[in-house]
Amino acid sequence: MMNILWRNIKWRFENKFTIIITILQPLLWLVLYSAVAGSTMKDTGITNYTAFILPGVMFLVTFSSCTSGGIMNFLMKSNGSFYRILISPVSRSSIVFAQMLESILVSFFEVTILYVVSILFSVNINSGILGIVFIAILIFLLAFFLSGLAYAISLCLPNEVVYETVMTAIVLPIFFLSSALFPPENLSGGLAVAVKLNPFTHVINALRSLIFREKIVFSEVLPIILLFVLMCCGSYALAMWRLKKETNV
Amino acid sequence: MLAIETHELVKQYKNGVRALDNLNLEVNKGEIFSLLGPNGAGKSSLINILTTFYKPTSGNVTMLGKDICKEPAWVRTQIACVAQHISIDEHLSLMENMMFQSRLYKVDPKVAKIRINSLIDIFELSRYLKYPIASYSGGVKRRLDIAMNMVSMPKILFLDEPTVGMDAMSRKAMWEMLLKIRDEYGTTIFLTTHYLEEADRLSDTICIMKDGKEVVQGTLKSLRGYIKQNMLCIAFSSTGEAKKYKGILENIEITKFADVRDNSVALGVDDSRASFTMVNKWLLEHHVAFYAIEIVEPSLEDVFLALTGSEENRGGDAYDEYFVEKYKMEI
Repeated sequence: MMNILWRNIKWRFENKFTIIITILQPLLWLVLYSAVAGSTMKDTGITNYTAFILPGVMFLVTFSSCTSGGIMNFLMKSNGSFYRILISPVSRSSIVFAQMLESILVSFFEVTILYVVSILFSVNINSGILGIVFIAILIFLLAFFLSGLAYAISLCLPNEVVYETVMTAIVLPIFFLSSALFPPENLSGGLAVAVKLNPFTHVINALRSLIFREKIVFSEVLPIILLFVLMCCGSYALAMWRLKKETNV
Repeated sequence: MLAIETHELVKQYKNGVRALDNLNLEVNKGEIFSLLGPNGAGKSSLINILTTFYKPTSGNVTMLGKDICKEPAWVRTQIACVAQHISIDEHLSLMENMMFQSRLYKVDPKVAKIRINSLIDIFELSRYLKYPIASYSGGVKRRLDIAMNMVSMPKILFLDEPTVGMDAMSRKAMWEMLLKIRDEYGTTIFLTTHYLEEADRLSDTICIMKDGKEVVQGTLKSLRGYIKQNMLCIAFSSTGEAKKYKGILENIEITKFADVRDNSVALGVDDSRASFTMVNKWLLEHHVAFYAIEIVEPSLEDVFLALTGSEENRGGDAYDEYFVEKYKMEI
């Protein structure tokens, strides 16, 4: 697994633009959108809007990083290494894990950049070191789930263009129908239900709670961790099933 | 001992295409086995099954005495495959590619270093070490591709059309390397090719496939004997002349088939001696200006064409190129 991970990281280093592309949009949301929309949100009681949208932007950057991990399948298929690795004595689970782990590492790298930038906007993680640990756990689970999903989807689709289109079509509704940009309390009707049913709303809320509150509210964080552990199992199983299906034609 | 044995092997894809239809093959250990067949014969499907990439629909495949469906993980440790398209990671250096491949096969790092250095020498890659892979020519990339697949010292090396796109010089150099691999490492080489000359020069055993079935399998000599084809070759002043008379000659009742090869027409006949007299007489009586007429031994092409049907099945340019090269040498 470490061998494939090393190779994927080398690819990422050689293609640094993939990091820039995936972080650019979330960074713009964090810097520009928070500056523009922050002033209109003062009445809602949000003191630091950059800190408020940071969890949503963290989700966005994680999604982008994991999506770019799925692109690797297309590159590997076109250069033949996909086949070469599948007929080598490396277990299928190691192949999937290595690729997912690379996406997770890129996610952490980009989330760290976002956090460093947000410090310039007076964002502070009030829950302290333990809060940071919980944030890392949540980001890991989020990235694990999304990278497994991206892996499986990339193997279902014929090329990068369709894949990118599908992933964009997935991320935008999920992002806007969550609590990423606004407090969901004032929503009502169908929209409120959709936002509540969106699991990413809950992970964003948990991250937000860890940023704003000085004390960790375990009842807000632990159920989300449990939910995402289950979702990660499902996503990994889906990725494995899809990889096995590649050889079962 | 057999390296590979397939028994009644069937591969039917989910879209209904039956790529392999009760295929039976036997590949001996330490030999170069060439698989020939027209496009769509099932060669790639077979390679994909033998390399454990696809699962067969039914039938048995035994590799080095073990069932590949029951022990695919073990089989993967014993084989390597040089795919049709060059498979190198261009973001890694030559050395990194070799090391990556050795780690995939869990080769001890010290052993891997020794092997890599030896393969770099055999495949004459040392002068490319400091250059990025992207700058390599197709031939050098292909050499690296094969060298990488040899790092694990596989018992069986699969090569799917390894010399496609190479110029004549590189192709001949590659043949030398493949023979070296067989002789020095005792590796069983299973290759598919469109170049019949390649099969002719390299193979210990040749198998011709059509419609997912083996048509014939044996040594080149035995294949020639198998079709017992009698052939005449009539040389003309130009290819145009040869084409002009091909249509006429193939309508003579003794002709089984006619084929233009460079500036000659090859005729398949039943009795070469009687036909030689008859065709010679016919040409003289009709005042046909020909340069020479001779009885020739069937080539692998003739075997291939006779067994797979018609020229329609020929692989296009590759065959045409071979005809030109071979008949230049013969005439």
